[in-house]
Amino acid sequence: MNNQVDGVKVSSESPLLSKRVELLDWLGLFARLTLGGVVFVAGAIKIPTPYKAAAAMRAYELLPNSLASFFGYILPWFEVGLGALLILGVFTRLSGLVGALLMVLFIGAIASAWARGLSIDCGCFGGGGEIDPSETKYLQEIIRDIGLAICGFYLYYRPSSRFALDNRGK
Amino acid sequence: MASKNRGPQRGGRNNQPDPITRWIVIGMVSLVVVIGAVFTVVSNRSASNVALPPGASAADGYGIVFNADKSPTINIWEDFQCPSCKRFEDTNGAKIAEIISQGKAKVVYNTLSFLGPESVVAGMGGGCAADQGKFREYSKFLYDNQEQEGSGTWDKPYIISMATAMGLDETKFAACLNTDKYRKWLTNVSAAGGEANINGTPTVVIDGNIIESDQQGINYYTPEGFNAQLVKYGIN
Repeated sequence: MNNQVDGVKVSSESPLLSKRVELLDWLGLFARLTLGGVVFVAGAIKIPTPYKAAAAMRAYELLPNSLASFFGYILPWFEVGLGALLILGVFTRLSGLVGALLMVLFIGAIASAWARGLSIDCGCFGGGGEIDPSETKYLQEIIRDIGLAICGFYLYYRPSSRFALDNRGK
Repeated sequence: MASKNRGPQRGGRNNQPDPITRWIVIGMVSLVVVIGAVFTVVSNRSASNVALPPGASAADGYGIVFNADKSPTINIWEDFQCPSCKRFEDTNGAKIAEIISQGKAKVVYNTLSFLGPESVVAGMGGGCAADQGKFREYSKFLYDNQEQEGSGTWDKPYIISMATAMGLDETKFAACLNTDKYRKWLTNVSAAGGEANINGTPTVVIDGNIIESDQQGINYYTPEGFNAQLVKYGIN
């Protein structure tokens, strides 16, 4: 099978091109495991202590109390599910996009807590709630989430990766 | 897709797309997520017709009430496992006992149980101790002998032995704890805590105002700091 690249007729079996494709596939795997692994672990840690998760959500003071508690209860399960899909590489493009948008949401929530002068822990990995103002880590939390969002957006634009269930039968 | 024949070729050598496995995986994952989320929401909802320990009142967030007819009202939201609650009780327990015995305020103990299974066992034990009229004494004994959070020490036999050591009737206490008599009561306290926007322990609420330590210069981990808050509400 031949492709036209830059006006030059090259085979898709060309060593340079396939090397690049292979490298990007490994990068895809890295993005999947990073975003998926972090999101999966973050959810799994919070599942045994739902009150804490709900309290962490309420501490942002962004949603009405009952709604915040509700999302606090279901978010850890959602994270575990999304993390599993990313780790397994199922519907990578969609999972990556959802993961990236989730991170954008988190960044927005943390930034708004910061801007409003709240002193809370993000509650990303359990914990959460109000803490001493000197213990807040808003900048680190936002930088971490930006990195994870990049992983997600990368998977949206180039979902192909190594060791993904999406590859089956290709 | 730009290239072919990439990735592992499990499940046969045919080059047909294999959407079925993916749909099975996404189906299973969705099922687990939905069941888990629904279960969590439902099991943390407040229920009616729940066995309440003596002194517990639904109107006071299902907490155990002392001096029901006095005012102002002090709600103390605690988890027996929380180290800061121990610090709070070590510092102010005697003062609170004095407030109760001298009738200076209505005091409500709301037992939260969100730090894992040990908190639930210890919290249920609080209800069982209230059955024998010794909630405060039980509470003090647990804080005096608090284990590291999440160490797993506080299982049912251990809590029963602690209750016995502080002078509760072992047979009655064990029967109460082993049958999870007050598990649903604890769930109701937690649901009330959610409604009252209690996001950490200990949290003190006086006449509905949440007073959080380390916020706005409030520190109730010293006797002076706690008394300063009490004085604002006319408690000397």
